[in-house]
Amino acid sequence: QQGDRRLRGTVKGPDGNPLVGATVALVTDRRTATATDATGAFTLSLPAGEAGPIELEVSSVGFETRRVSVQRGQYVVAVTMDNTKSSLNEVVVTALGINREKKSLGYAVTTVKGDEFTTARENNIANALTGKVAGVNAAGLSTGPGGSSRVTIRGNGTLGGDNQPLYVVNGMPIDNSVPGGAPTVNGITNNVDRGDGIAGINPDDIESISVLKGGTASALYGSRAANGVILITTKKGRAQRGVGVEYNSTATLENVAVIPDFQYTYGQGLDGVMSTDLNSARASGRKSWGALIDGNNNYVAVDGQHHSYTAKKDNLQNFYQTGSTFTNSIAFAGGNEKTVYRFSAADLNSNGILPKTTYDRKTLNLSLNSKLTDRLGIEALAQYNLETGVNRTGAGDALGNPNWTPLEIANTADVRWLKPGYDSNGNEQIWNDAAIASNGYFVINKYQEKDTKNRFIGQASVSYELVKNLVIKGTASEDFYNYNYYNILPTGTLYIPNGQYTALKTDVSEFNGLVTASYKTALTKDIGLSALAGANSRKYAENRLTLNGLNFTIPYFYSFSNLASQSTVPYSPRIGVNSIFGSVDLDFKSLLFLTFAGREDWFSTLSPQNNHIFYPSVGGSFILSDAVHLPDFFTYAKLRGSWAQVGGGAPDPYQINLTYSNVTSSGPTLQNVTPDANSGSNVITNPNLKPYTSTTYEGGLELQMLKSRLGIDFTYYNRQTTNDIVNTAVSTTSGYSNVILNIGELRNSGVELLLTGKPVRTNNFSWNVSYNVAYNANKVVALAPGLPSIQIAASVNGWATLQQIVGQPFGTLVGTRMTRDAKTGLVVFNRTTHTPVMTTATQILGNSVAPYTMGLTNDFKYKRFTLSILLDGKFGNKIFSIFELYATRMGKLKSTLPGRAGGLELKGVDQTGAPYDTVITQTNGVLRNYYDNYKTYSELFLHDGSFIKLRQVILTYQIPVQHISTLKIQSANISFVARNLFILYRQTHNFDPEQSFTSSNAQGFESIGLPRTRSYGLNLSVKF
Amino acid sequence: CDKGYKQLNVNPDAVSSPTPQYVFTLAEYDGCGYGGQYGSSAADFLLGTMQYTTSYNDVAGFGSKYINSQVQQTYGAFNAAYPDEINELGIVMKAVKTDPTKINWLAEARIWRVYCYMRQTDLYGDIPYSQAGLGYDSSLYKPAYDPQQSIYMNLLSELDAAAQSLDATKSTFGASDLIYGGNTAQWKKFAYSLMLRMGMRLTKVDIASAQTWVTKAIAGGVILQDADIAKMTYIANGQNINKNPLVLDLWNNDYIAQNGQTNTEGGKYADTWISYLQSTNDPRLPIISVVWIGGKPDTTSSKQLGMSQDIANKIPANFVTFSEPNPATVLGLGSSKLLFTAAESYFLLTEAALRGWYSGATASSLYTLGIQAAMRHWSIVAGSAGTISASAINTYVNNNPLVTGTLDQQMKQIYTQFWVSIFPDAQEVYNNYRRTGYPALVPNNYPTNATGGQIFRRFLYPISEQTLNTTNYNAAVARQGPDNLMTRIWWDKQ
Repeated sequence: QQGDRRLRGTVKGPDGNPLVGATVALVTDRRTATATDATGAFTLSLPAGEAGPIELEVSSVGFETRRVSVQRGQYVVAVTMDNTKSSLNEVVVTALGINREKKSLGYAVTTVKGDEFTTARENNIANALTGKVAGVNAAGLSTGPGGSSRVTIRGNGTLGGDNQPLYVVNGMPIDNSVPGGAPTVNGITNNVDRGDGIAGINPDDIESISVLKGGTASALYGSRAANGVILITTKKGRAQRGVGVEYNSTATLENVAVIPDFQYTYGQGLDGVMSTDLNSARASGRKSWGALIDGNNNYVAVDGQHHSYTAKKDNLQNFYQTGSTFTNSIAFAGGNEKTVYRFSAADLNSNGILPKTTYDRKTLNLSLNSKLTDRLGIEALAQYNLETGVNRTGAGDALGNPNWTPLEIANTADVRWLKPGYDSNGNEQIWNDAAIASNGYFVINKYQEKDTKNRFIGQASVSYELVKNLVIKGTASEDFYNYNYYNILPTGTLYIPNGQYTALKTDVSEFNGLVTASYKTALTKDIGLSALAGANSRKYAENRLTLNGLNFTIPYFYSFSNLASQSTVPYSPRIGVNSIFGSVDLDFKSLLFLTFAGREDWFSTLSPQNNHIFYPSVGGSFILSDAVHLPDFFTYAKLRGSWAQVGGGAPDPYQINLTYSNVTSSGPTLQNVTPDANSGSNVITNPNLKPYTSTTYEGGLELQMLKSRLGIDFTYYNRQTTNDIVNTAVSTTSGYSNVILNIGELRNSGVELLLTGKPVRTNNFSWNVSYNVAYNANKVVALAPGLPSIQIAASVNGWATLQQIVGQPFGTLVGTRMTRDAKTGLVVFNRTTHTPVMTTATQILGNSVAPYTMGLTNDFKYKRFTLSILLDGKFGNKIFSIFELYATRMGKLKSTLPGRAGGLELKGVDQTGAPYDTVITQTNGVLRNYYDNYKTYSELFLHDGSFIKLRQVILTYQIPVQHISTLKIQSANISFVARNLFILYRQTHNFDPEQSFTSSNAQGFESIGLPRTRSYGLNLSVKF
Repeated sequence: CDKGYKQLNVNPDAVSSPTPQYVFTLAEYDGCGYGGQYGSSAADFLLGTMQYTTSYNDVAGFGSKYINSQVQQTYGAFNAAYPDEINELGIVMKAVKTDPTKINWLAEARIWRVYCYMRQTDLYGDIPYSQAGLGYDSSLYKPAYDPQQSIYMNLLSELDAAAQSLDATKSTFGASDLIYGGNTAQWKKFAYSLMLRMGMRLTKVDIASAQTWVTKAIAGGVILQDADIAKMTYIANGQNINKNPLVLDLWNNDYIAQNGQTNTEGGKYADTWISYLQSTNDPRLPIISVVWIGGKPDTTSSKQLGMSQDIANKIPANFVTFSEPNPATVLGLGSSKLLFTAAESYFLLTEAALRGWYSGATASSLYTLGIQAAMRHWSIVAGSAGTISASAINTYVNNNPLVTGTLDQQMKQIYTQFWVSIFPDAQEVYNNYRRTGYPALVPNNYPTNATGGQIFRRFLYPISEQTLNTTNYNAAVARQGPDNLMTRIWWDKQ
């Protein structure tokens, strides 16, 4: 090799810091390439005999690719890179953490920079994706601080899986489960959102997030990536003198965003009569069926006091407080040319809008990268989290749900009159006629809930360059958490006077071991090849103990040791998936790129006869603008297409054979079918369970025009899932509540469009705009033969259900309507009960998932000020409101006003078709019962869930730090931030259409959860 | 690449095959409970329907008020029975049916299954039967509904076949059988007693079959001795599954506070019930009823007071003065639940004698034996707290003989006494009320009721059957009549 020319050089970013991992390649022969080390330095050996002037191409994620000329006889090069201005030569992180040029990809991938999450924070990073990426439907839940998120990419692809993407940190999967499962639509007391796994990631540690939407993009991750992958790349250290310090602090406040529009004409009471003594006040504590609100001072409320009979319009504002969140994070980064490090510590303290609800998250993160020799490198990442949630808010049915009180209390009663919710003995105070509808203040003050999660995420990898361009890499990652939760329904609860205890203790471990061999070469001068082969072993294990108990023996003493009856139920799921995979990427003249990949998976959760599946994928891209001469109008044009198949196993173990377990007994031994760990009901297992498959194809076009001032990125995709593994409800008369089936076919197809523009670009002022819109058509093509529908969820009392119905989209709301006469269209009445006759409960009401999503971002920059405004919207879905159902029964909605004075005329036909015409009045509660009975017609509480929101506003001022030279500050920004500021369009009059409380597939229900909030605050970011 | 996966997918906390006797014990517990989800369970609200109890609260008072807004309370029993006792008995029977040494296990499971199915069909009419509970074994997820008539005929022949297959020389469930400890002779009596109950059920719809089966049952030998009473035993402390389910319901829904005032759901004894017991100077009144005076339970008969079923959703000022179940007797969480008593046999035999189907004793003597047996039940349930002296019993039976008259007049006496005697088994009282019209309760024409002021004739199928078993549900409704509370089931022919 002696005599070969060796080039040495450094690559720096615009801020003067060295760039690690930048690729330096010879333009004329890309086989000659290298990457910068931890100090930004590189050495490139040129081919023998190469002595003349050459051109180098230098590229790195997030920077404009540069071409640098090197003169004959020049041996040292210094390159300074600019931040990316356009996406033409963008390098993106793809599956397994592999960096690839975006132009070479045959599928759509969107990258979001970390700083977009750190200024206007969401506690849960996944919520911050809302509106940012075409085809990504992200929504935070309204369950208070520390709550979960629900993210779906390109629609719901499986009938029974959770449909959420796989979260991957630095190439390795992490756990995103909600301990003990997501809340249900109709649960009580213990029905809280315990937070998901992604909620534990600190936004400050994020370098970038890549969203892999299509099957080809994610095929290397196998089955769990069928719903897409969210790849998180964390920040790494860099070689520099001294230690770089970054400090970020945010303080935000939040308030209830939507106040219901109640009737304030008639006040507390029954049958037109105001309550004038304590007993009648208690009978009507949640009923606004009284007299005309007239300021009468004879009014007596549930506190036993006389009050003026006036409308109390601020009960929500008075019941909930201003919530607050304070986040402080600090990071130290540095290193030398061999080793770089970054350490960060973050503390988040959140107080919910419900008093006494808090969430605290401490995150410590350490990243180390070291190049031990030229060939041997190691990387390690360690993260420790401590998350503590206190008094998470319940939703669903009434018992223990504090939100019931402010929403359903009589409209002339001030909710604060119920304070403190308990008497001198600490027992719940009566405020209404149903003990199950808890006093919200009693719940706030006496119910106890606490959870702590100790989480450790560790990754370590070793890479060794065996021969030139052949790199072997081994990675092990472990995501482990220990979770402790208890929920106490206290002594003195009216409905359950001796109390209840529930606890969950669990250890969850997600281990992945990955070995890859990658090889890069050029087959000819024009054809580059890179190949990858690998194997992965996934092991998931949980050790769960559920502790339940009844009746605290010594009143008001809350310990598991103090229960009259107790049970401890173990659940120990174990899952293994082994995989081998390989891929080949071909690059012809940087014009045409082709990718072939294949993977075989073995699943422990499937039948031993059918437990493995091979699936292939292929993708390509063609740079039209480089291949042919396009008019100058076009800067860049690319066509792409891909086809991929992914197979998957059952999400839970032990679904092959029916087993039997002991039932907790204080007497004789009892045994039954082992109930499903999550639902508690009996499930029919399936000995023939085989993999499901999901097949995707997509095509797209990327255009940059007018010197990249205008960009279009268009995608069409189609995704078909067959042999889905579904846990579906069956008639209880089968002896079981659910069955596991390999059935069905589900199709998602849609389009995504991203428009980017830079209308103004001057020295002092610039305006960038980005608009994304997506439409996803979803259809349940087939279920099992003879099976027209399966049920996912049911509301309290089954007033509405959520089903998968052949021919309908995923998640169809189903319920009842008022029967109408076929001939006249008039309502059919029952002469006995004077109520409309209910149809069967199989009426299709609407789709729970919005098919249209969009987001519009406008970024303005004027001198030191930047203003960023994000609007987003979702359209075309329906939502069923249980709060409105109850508010109708309680006479709180304006729709219950007709008939209060003078009676309500019911006109229609009777069940024989004969005319029916009668007047009902308030006497004997007939009118009240008439409206109460409205709960049996689901259609009355169904609303269009479409909305447009002003999701986010950030106004930033870049402080001129060079004037404060004593502090050695590199940069400092202060920002005003606001999230969920206004709802610009909605059809739900009384609540926020995003009022969701579970991350499960059971969407489309408003179920008396915590109200959604708007938040605003300040952010300070300083770099030393 | 799947080494060890088969083992990995084995649940370490469960076994792969059932232990039949343990499943059978659970089936006994479940078969004695009534499904009801944190609301009035069927057993509880039928106490209201038979006017033993009521509540000022409309929701909790559904049983006594039949208000339209709470008809969904009738779903519970149906939803609970199949995944619980029906499926459990299927598991037991599958495990033992091919083993000739376990013939008694099979027979007792069959008899118990008859008991469980009868309760369901008596509430709902046509129900899934021949195809039910086969979700796992036969992948039958949508069972057809069988007509009640064919269910009844099949259950009757099951009783006969199972009773005859019992063999005292073979093994039994032993201590796992909480009802009889595996005693085959007693299971046989239980089987023929159930046959007597079922046979008599047919008097309105098929008098000839009724006579055939009643005669057959009596010939087989029914429960006449206290020692043979079919009763389920419970434990007062510990897990809810081990407690008397009706008591647990009453306890949790209302009487847990034990002060007469802060009843969770506003429940009390109804005035119909207390007034009747007072009018006959019934010595059972102080056994079963208390009124809370100064925070202490008082059993003085004259102080007992029932609450009106008309109170509209507001706690009455004198709420504390109304009677409620005696915590020392009716509310014993560990007290036995009587499933088939000697008293019931005697009253059914009284009717059989009047109809000329039985001549072993006179109707009036059988009637007296029935009352005497019923009075003794309370000492079986509650020990000394429930013991009624022999002299008090004699005084009562002397004052309340079966007065001769028309069949209807005597039926009125029998089934009014049945109402008093079988308390708190409201379902069997409800069944005989529908069959005979007695006791002659005055239906509560409460405003907003769902029935036009009549006592309902059946329960509603759960709404989930409309969506999960649509075709078969529709066929059942088309055959039986609309799925409402006033549609009469097969044996309740008008």
